[in-house]
Amino acid sequence: MAMHGMRGLSVFISDIRNCQNKEQERQRIDKELGNVRNRFKNEKGLSPYEKKKYVWKMLYIYMLGYDVDFGHMEAVSLISAPKYPEKQVGYIVTSCLLNENHDFLRLAINTVRNDIIGRNETFQCLALTMVGNIGGREFAESLAPDVQKLLLSSSCRPLVRKKAALCLLRLYRKNPDVVNVDGWADRMAQLLDERDLGVLTSSMSLLVALVSNNHEAYWSCLPKCVKTLERLARNQDIPQEYTYYGIPSPWLQVKTMRALQYFPTIEDPYTRRTLFEVLQRILMGTDVVKNVNKNNASHAVLFEALALVMHLDAEKEMMSQCVALLGKFIAVREPNIRYLGLENMTRMLMVTDAQEIIKRHQAQIITSLKDPDISIRRRALDLLYGMCDVTNAKDIVEELLQYLSSADFTMREELSLKAAILAEKFAPDLSWYVDVILQLIDKAGDFISDDIWFRVVQFVTNNDDLQPYAAAKVKEYLEKPAVHETMVKVSAYILGEYSHLLARRPGCSPKEIFGILHEKLPTVSTTTIPILLSAYAKILMHTQPPDQELQSQIWAIFNKYESCIDAEIQQRAVEYFALCQKGAALMDILAEMPKFPERKSSLIKRAEYSEADTAEQSAIKLRAQQQPSNALVVTDQPPANGATSPVPVGQLSLAMVPSMITTEDHTSTDPASSQQNGSLTKVDPQHPSADLLGDLLGPLAIEGPPGATVQSEHNAVSRLEGGPDAVDGSAIVPVEEQRNTVQPIGNIAERFHALCLKDSGVLYEDPYIQIGIKAEWRAHHGRLVLFLGNKNTAPLVSVQALMLPPAHLKMELSLVPDTIPPRAQVQCPLEVVNLRPSRDVAVLDFSYKFGTNMVNVKLRLPAVLNKFLQPIPVPAEEFFPQWRSLSGPPLKLQEVVRGVRPMPLPEMANLLNSFRLMICPGLDPNPNNLVASTTFYSESTHAMLCLIRIETDPADRTQLRMTLASGDPTLTFELKEFIKEQLISIPTAPPQSPAPAPAPAPPPAAQATPQIPPNDPAALLAGLLS
Amino acid sequence: MPVAASAIYFLNLRGDVLINRLYRDDVGGNMVDAFRMHIMQTKELGTCPVRQIGGCSFFYMRISNVYVVIVVSSNANVACAFKFVVEAVSMFKSYFGGAFDEDAIRNNFVLIYELLDEIMDFGYPQNLSPEILKLYITQEGVRSPFSSKASDKPIPNATLQVTGAVGWRREGLVYKKNEVFLDIVESVNLLMSSKGSVLRCDVTGKILMKCFLSGMPDLKLGLNDKIGLEKESQMKSRPAKSGKTIELDDVTFHQCVNLTRFNSEKTVSFVPPDGEFELMKYRITEGVNLPFRVLPTIKELGRTRMEVNVKVKSVFGAKMFALGVVVKIPVPKQTAKTSFQVTSGRAKYNAAIDCLVWKIRKFPGQTEPTLSAEVELISTMAEKKSWTKPPIQMEFQVPMFTASGLRVRFLKVWEKRGYNTVEWVRYITKAGSYEIRS
Repeated sequence: MAMHGMRGLSVFISDIRNCQNKEQERQRIDKELGNVRNRFKNEKGLSPYEKKKYVWKMLYIYMLGYDVDFGHMEAVSLISAPKYPEKQVGYIVTSCLLNENHDFLRLAINTVRNDIIGRNETFQCLALTMVGNIGGREFAESLAPDVQKLLLSSSCRPLVRKKAALCLLRLYRKNPDVVNVDGWADRMAQLLDERDLGVLTSSMSLLVALVSNNHEAYWSCLPKCVKTLERLARNQDIPQEYTYYGIPSPWLQVKTMRALQYFPTIEDPYTRRTLFEVLQRILMGTDVVKNVNKNNASHAVLFEALALVMHLDAEKEMMSQCVALLGKFIAVREPNIRYLGLENMTRMLMVTDAQEIIKRHQAQIITSLKDPDISIRRRALDLLYGMCDVTNAKDIVEELLQYLSSADFTMREELSLKAAILAEKFAPDLSWYVDVILQLIDKAGDFISDDIWFRVVQFVTNNDDLQPYAAAKVKEYLEKPAVHETMVKVSAYILGEYSHLLARRPGCSPKEIFGILHEKLPTVSTTTIPILLSAYAKILMHTQPPDQELQSQIWAIFNKYESCIDAEIQQRAVEYFALCQKGAALMDILAEMPKFPERKSSLIKRAEYSEADTAEQSAIKLRAQQQPSNALVVTDQPPANGATSPVPVGQLSLAMVPSMITTEDHTSTDPASSQQNGSLTKVDPQHPSADLLGDLLGPLAIEGPPGATVQSEHNAVSRLEGGPDAVDGSAIVPVEEQRNTVQPIGNIAERFHALCLKDSGVLYEDPYIQIGIKAEWRAHHGRLVLFLGNKNTAPLVSVQALMLPPAHLKMELSLVPDTIPPRAQVQCPLEVVNLRPSRDVAVLDFSYKFGTNMVNVKLRLPAVLNKFLQPIPVPAEEFFPQWRSLSGPPLKLQEVVRGVRPMPLPEMANLLNSFRLMICPGLDPNPNNLVASTTFYSESTHAMLCLIRIETDPADRTQLRMTLASGDPTLTFELKEFIKEQLISIPTAPPQSPAPAPAPAPPPAAQATPQIPPNDPAALLAGLLS
Repeated sequence: MPVAASAIYFLNLRGDVLINRLYRDDVGGNMVDAFRMHIMQTKELGTCPVRQIGGCSFFYMRISNVYVVIVVSSNANVACAFKFVVEAVSMFKSYFGGAFDEDAIRNNFVLIYELLDEIMDFGYPQNLSPEILKLYITQEGVRSPFSSKASDKPIPNATLQVTGAVGWRREGLVYKKNEVFLDIVESVNLLMSSKGSVLRCDVTGKILMKCFLSGMPDLKLGLNDKIGLEKESQMKSRPAKSGKTIELDDVTFHQCVNLTRFNSEKTVSFVPPDGEFELMKYRITEGVNLPFRVLPTIKELGRTRMEVNVKVKSVFGAKMFALGVVVKIPVPKQTAKTSFQVTSGRAKYNAAIDCLVWKIRKFPGQTEPTLSAEVELISTMAEKKSWTKPPIQMEFQVPMFTASGLRVRFLKVWEKRGYNTVEWVRYITKAGSYEIRS
């Protein structure tokens, strides 16, 4: 219609179609684009007809895959044209050429809005379609209310309302936060009363989106949904055009049932009953017919109904009906239906009762395992795996084993893994388990991962009764002509360990065992040879009395491999050979392997892991969680040494791989082999987590955590005991009070105290961010750099850092970026100038946003008094005149401090040194006294010498007398208080452990003068003590 | 001699096989599918003429609308293979009497099969000379031996021809008028910087001859090149007459040139084949006379306007003139409107190649026409892509001018019958890739 009479366009299109090759086409298009550019640039302007024609051409060129990067203006301007043909092309081209992030769209918003609120229905439809295709955030902001109005308006035709519903759906999906859906529950309910099925279908799509976000608000819609479903199921009042092959609007049925699945349950008994009736009807009424389309439609409805039944946890009767239905499906010829049947049965397993009913179909499922279609075979395998339990494990596993030899190669690995897991999980007895795994290795050796045979070795080692059986069994397998290498590995290990248990049996003398094993040596690869060598050494050791012939044979082999190119083999050969000469010592070193600590099977872990990313595995996963059954528990043989503590699974391979154990064996001179396994299991399984700041602060950051727990304990204790400390402890609380959901990693206070003593380290860390600090201090200037490291793969936004400096510090924080990109580190320098002496602490108010999570922390910055100290040695001839010249308060203050944490004198000296107070030994004749000196820098005092004398009482280490002298009364007071705080609250003796300096509460203003403010706990304390 | 081909394919631009011939069975018949899949349908087409896919090497070249592909699985001589293709195509052209393209192939299937059988045997190239092939692969019907009318032509003896001392010339030719045409064709390749300094410049030339001479004539050609002149001056022990001598690089001769005489006496003497042939090829890198100087000034005025001024100066003699001069001045892709002022010729904007194309049919020497154009650009959505400014290209032909300065000093014809001959000599210089950065 719109194309009528556009001759230029049709000529152009036929030109393009007539092009012989790509090159010609490109030339034609370049020519046309040149023409269009020329026309658009024309000063005279274009007639609407011409504009329309050229914009159509542009769209055609764009659809052919060429880049069209101009003329968007013209396209957008056509939207506002008054006539339909122009408006149509404007809308179509705009929605094809532009995407929601284009700036040009902003120009169109107003026009689009005018069309939407206008009275012309066709224009409304065009506008709604365009918004539904490319509507972005700005569209949602400005148009959502209008679209909502349109959807509800009764004067509109269904066509418009249908489009409005879908348009709103798009806006809501894109920007759920912008579209205001408060109070929409009633309106949705009202919409669901709609008789027109088109509008109803669109509204149902919208409802599904709304309900999936928040089902609470839409309870009122639930009965309406059921009513709609009922109407459809009963085929009441359904116009002809909405029935598809006789099925009343299958799309709406599916959507309605999907929506119902978002509600956890249905409370109302009447609704529930109605719904079940409807479901019953659907379940009963569906049959497999010839017509493919009808089949597809009716089964789409049916399977959605099944999902709903499962979701609603219906009565047992209905459940069994469903399973019966599914059982019927998995028997039909049509592969699609069979596939769906199997898949849904797997899902059905989630429902607790269904399992028994499903079991009845086991034979049929096993038949599906032989289906020509691989996807059906996979589904059948999944289902078998999921439905397996103790009762049917034997059958299923045997079936799987049988199937293994004929299975597709692509499936074998999965199959063998699943068989191994099932055998382990549901083994009725362990000998059966060993049988299964050995069969598995025999049949599908190439597909057996190391984990599987490690696991069987582990079981055999841990179960004494099993050992002779396993040994006999592997010997049987080994006697077969062609043996897989994995089998050689298992056999070598087991025979090496336990063949002596069989020694009495015929054909099982060490020599014969050795013969069987040695036969395989030429055929195996270098990874197996070490295991064989170990087995030889063990056989030799177990041969009592020593058999000279065997010994010389084995020694000859060791000799031969001493020059092997493989280092592992060579080392073993050399070491075994050397050990063999030792005789008795060999006994200890090559003793039987100790029991493995009990642990969760790594196989099961692996299976869970591999399932994690497939969508429909949830049922199996859920069940695996429900029944953490383990062969070790199932069997009536608990492991002998139950005392061994469980060790994380990650270590399995470490403890298991024989090569590692044996190397350890022989490099160690200690013959007590029982300890070796122990020492191995102690290997710390924790890998240091990836540290963003690691490159800069790595060594320092690690120092923090170990002492932390100890410290906090002590803190707690001292808080209970020592009255004074309790005050300080509580003073800390408001600073780090947490309203955040994000838990910091490590103790913030600990980190702060550590930083008081050193110049770089981690200040704060939580799962999203790590804040590190690096500081340099020069006289009264300090330069700190904050390292803000984003630990996540998503950016942190709304990052804000606000300095709350105390009065005595002048701080300048450089601009902190609003966003920290993923895995990036941002540096923020911070300049500090010390104006006056004071103990107050600067606080950094730091906040950021991760996702919707707003995190705010207040962190004390380690710009404390002692940072501005500079240790200075003062010789005796200078010290005493100074000391004497500063006489009496306020320049010289003396105080008896009680309740000091007792510590030896050298330790105290160390502590003071770490605060940059330089101990001057030998000045005081009394060895129990300490004399220290330092220089304090601030802007008001400049460099000021401070002299300290501490007299301790060797009889009572909890008290001491402290005398401080400096040229400034404030400094004297503050420094005295500072040292006192440090001495009193030192909870632990070691000087390297950071001392939690009790910080005063944040309001710092009043602290500038030595007058004791009533709210300063430290000052109050000082007053009490003096 | 190494193998040159296991199979040869002729494909059209869509990749359909027009005709093919397998010479050895070490490549499968479906190898051409691999060529189609991995070369024709990718962007690699035209980037590298030799590709290896799955153990086979593909050598291909495009000739008009036909791809000629040689497939080889052994270690072949690539140069030999390409030379074979070039020679075969020129032979086909002489058979078809003009163009070699898809239609010509379709119209001559039988002939091509016959020729393909003849020109290569088990992958080894054979005689490709059209003169000889035409003796026994004819396009006319074969005369029946029972036909009463006796043939008026002697039955040619091809074997004798090929194995004789002068394999390229038939004996017993007789012409009423004995004529020799000699063309020196040179093409100039130039890359000049925007400041006018020459970055790269060379001339590739060839001497084409057409002989209509009776009997077995012996020809001797003298050029003003260094080798010949030096020899001469040595022999006559006196300084060269003309001051200018030309140094030729990479000279290659037609097989008829007597190389021993060239080596000993430094003269180009030969018994020419009958008809048209290429006597020699050469290259010159020093002392090239450029026929044109181009002085472009291109100014971008803001985001949407450009001003282009190009002055082209002809620096050959005022009496000569160039033909078919085309100057292509690249402009950005978003060019919308153009307006021109030219002092001669015609100019227009060609959107398909994104160039302003200025054509001057006849361009006299020692003149300097100018073009000034205003270009308006359309504003685009995308961020302004920086325009790479491709170089200005030029096409031209200048008759009776050689960029190298090469001249024929003499062409002597000696035949035992001693007839008179007419010698025609022409010179022409064409543009190869003549580019000036703007």
